[in-house]
Amino acid sequence: MDNQVEARKFIVPIGPQHPALKEPGHFEFSVEGEVVTGASVRLGYVHRGIEKAAESRNWTQNLYLFERICGICSHVHATALTLGVEKLANLQVPPRAQAIRTLMGELERIHSHLLWLGVAAHEGGFDTLFMYSWRDRETVMDLLESISGNRVHYSANIIGGVKFDIDDQRKDAILRGMDFLEPRTRHYLDVVTGDRTFIARTRGIGGMTREQAELLGAVGPTARASGVTRDVRVDSPYAAYPDFPVNVVTDEGGDLAARFVVRIKELFETYRLVREILAKLPPGELAVRALRRVPAGETVSRVEAPRGELFYFLKSAGADKPDRVKVRTPSLCNWATVTQVAVGHKLADMPMLLSGIDPCFSCNDRLVRVNRGRDSELMSWEALRRYGIEYYQK
Amino acid sequence: MKLGSMIGDVFRSLFRRPATELYPAEKRPAPERFRGKLVYDPVKCSGCQLCIKDCPSEAIELIVLDKVNKKFVLRYHQDRCTYCAQCVVNCRFSCLEMSNELWELAAVRKEPFEIYYGKDEDVAFLMEKIAKDNSGDAKIPADAP
Amino acid sequence: MFFPGGLFVIAAGLVYEWIDRKLVARLQNRVGPRWFQPLADLVKLLAKEEITPEGVNRSLFYLLPVVALAAALCTALYIPMAGFAPSYSFRGDLIVALYMLSVLTICMGVAGANTLDRFSLLGATRTLTQMFSYEAPFLLALLGPAIAAGSWQINEINAYAHAHPWDILVFQVFGLAVALVGTMGKLELPPFDAPEAETEIVAGAMTEYSGRGYALFRLGKNVELIIALTLVASFYLGGISNPLDFLLKTLGLLLIMAVLQSLFARLRIDQTVGLWWRLGALLALVNILVVFFIRMKGIHL
Repeated sequence: MDNQVEARKFIVPIGPQHPALKEPGHFEFSVEGEVVTGASVRLGYVHRGIEKAAESRNWTQNLYLFERICGICSHVHATALTLGVEKLANLQVPPRAQAIRTLMGELERIHSHLLWLGVAAHEGGFDTLFMYSWRDRETVMDLLESISGNRVHYSANIIGGVKFDIDDQRKDAILRGMDFLEPRTRHYLDVVTGDRTFIARTRGIGGMTREQAELLGAVGPTARASGVTRDVRVDSPYAAYPDFPVNVVTDEGGDLAARFVVRIKELFETYRLVREILAKLPPGELAVRALRRVPAGETVSRVEAPRGELFYFLKSAGADKPDRVKVRTPSLCNWATVTQVAVGHKLADMPMLLSGIDPCFSCNDRLVRVNRGRDSELMSWEALRRYGIEYYQK
Repeated sequence: MKLGSMIGDVFRSLFRRPATELYPAEKRPAPERFRGKLVYDPVKCSGCQLCIKDCPSEAIELIVLDKVNKKFVLRYHQDRCTYCAQCVVNCRFSCLEMSNELWELAAVRKEPFEIYYGKDEDVAFLMEKIAKDNSGDAKIPADAP
Repeated sequence: MFFPGGLFVIAAGLVYEWIDRKLVARLQNRVGPRWFQPLADLVKLLAKEEITPEGVNRSLFYLLPVVALAAALCTALYIPMAGFAPSYSFRGDLIVALYMLSVLTICMGVAGANTLDRFSLLGATRTLTQMFSYEAPFLLALLGPAIAAGSWQINEINAYAHAHPWDILVFQVFGLAVALVGTMGKLELPPFDAPEAETEIVAGAMTEYSGRGYALFRLGKNVELIIALTLVASFYLGGISNPLDFLLKTLGLLLIMAVLQSLFARLRIDQTVGLWWRLGALLALVNILVVFFIRMKGIHL
């Protein structure tokens, strides 16, 4: 970190404590005047050792542990885990349970996208949009509370099904909520695409071509805003998505404005889906009985979180505790898009760029990689375990 | 390309009540399925401890005073509980439920967070035993006293 | 000392800050703070420990907030506060008043440049850049009524505006617009709050200040609010002759400013500069030309 007087370049640190970030993460932008010439990112501030903690809890306890990786996308984490376990144990979950899981997932998508809209508007200084979109988000939070009993961490899943049912009264309430939210969302789409000051802050910022998006491995709405048609709900449908197909929303713009548009249009698609699921909710039971011991095996479980593709690897050794659970969250894939694309933009655009990928730092911190360069070796899983135990015995 | 496209919202808000709920002056009741504090009915409990096996945070313990006569005391650590309701789902005799009225659970000391549930005489017996033992740490083994 | 001096101006500044915050909150469908909130903030800040960062010039660090507040309060001597005649009035005091207000902004800029902190440096750069951009159109906008009244003395401009209210309001509509938006730029209110953009550079030039220094800077800003509102109201809205007049006109302006605050996203500093130097300067020049024309022809309403 050198301050060369003649080049007049210095490094602006954003984070770990910064009003722009809702969660800690460290970014260093090398700046000349107001123009950014380089960016680097360092994560790992919220690493809680969840994957290790999962090995000493049984599968049901792990449901709740993994739900709490992230507060905004908690349901998809739990869904991914149960889908994986049900695959390993070969359980046939009743269709009503799958439909309710999908419904909760879509309601969570609504709340996540509205939250993101407010936060991104706040980063751009547009506090009015922030306040109004969060006020409308309260509708969906109240719905989720009346269905599940909690505003976040709905705890809807158990291994083999869901915990609670949707009766007619709640169905009407949900439909009314959707009717309220749809014109409001249309209004927000107008504001985001029409308001001149907002467009001045978002159009042309952070442009990423389709090739760049595919090279950098972007997922979720960030990739879809550059024209990459990738959506796990369509590519490999899970839960009730085979019965309720989804239309993928893409945009060719590639810049920040396109990301806004994609997420708001996804909201419309979600409203349609919710109405369809409620209209054709299959009758039946809520859960099947699951054994405590899960048969040995390895499996992979992919779901579409509001931020992109969420990937779980599960390994069971036949016990009632997992052998290994590996989580790869979507936000981890999208960081490269910020650091590569940030060069050449002004410092004032950085917070909006950062929030444009909808970062969820708590989801991220699964792996902290320290760059050593020399002295690195490749270890097998058993060797790594032994190393960890011996290290503390020394 | 409009300028000030939120003028409609902004103007209408001048004539409307704010959207804020003025807690604690106005308290809206919680919805019916709200997961508040855990409530235990000792009458139907059989002591199977299925609820304890699956609790993610070791928030409940069953203290068995007399297994044959079904004298149990449930010690509930309210501060450890994650309010997930897995115990409620596991119980086959519907002894547990999560209240939707008791949700203002903040306290300034540690004592209110350790709750002993059970039939009155059982709880009283346990309290006396703890006071007599008086080792400072109320660790009761899970079998007979 | 009391009126219309320091204490009254400070108290009025606090009340107006509350009205502004409450209006913006209600426009955003929220509740907003209670009436004593700015006073509570002031008392709390004065009572807090002041942390002096390393590497600053200590005397500058302590002096700058005092000088800023002093400059703002001095300006209050020359303007018709609450409808009464200004305490001191002499020819050319319009220029002195505007200069003192600029001293406040410059003090904030220097305060930001004084520290080693990157955020403050960026904030200071932005403050000074923004000052260079809006100062000229704002000055030109205030010059319109001055030329129409034929004097550089605030007292006399006020009297002239009181005598010919419709003259100024109708012919110098552009000037009113530029003056109003210029006030928002001067006070660093959204959408021109790039110098203290909370989400980008923490608090801009004010980042390292805490306790007493910060309280004085905030007071300086509140006093600036009152002064700027009074100036614009007395020049453009037909002069201020009594306290009721003062209240109505300044509150009306504050309402319009609150609405404008909540409608727009924050402009980047280069967009602000572009807007002011292109649109602002143009409108102000047109305004001046109209005034010349009117005065030449001697048209009156």
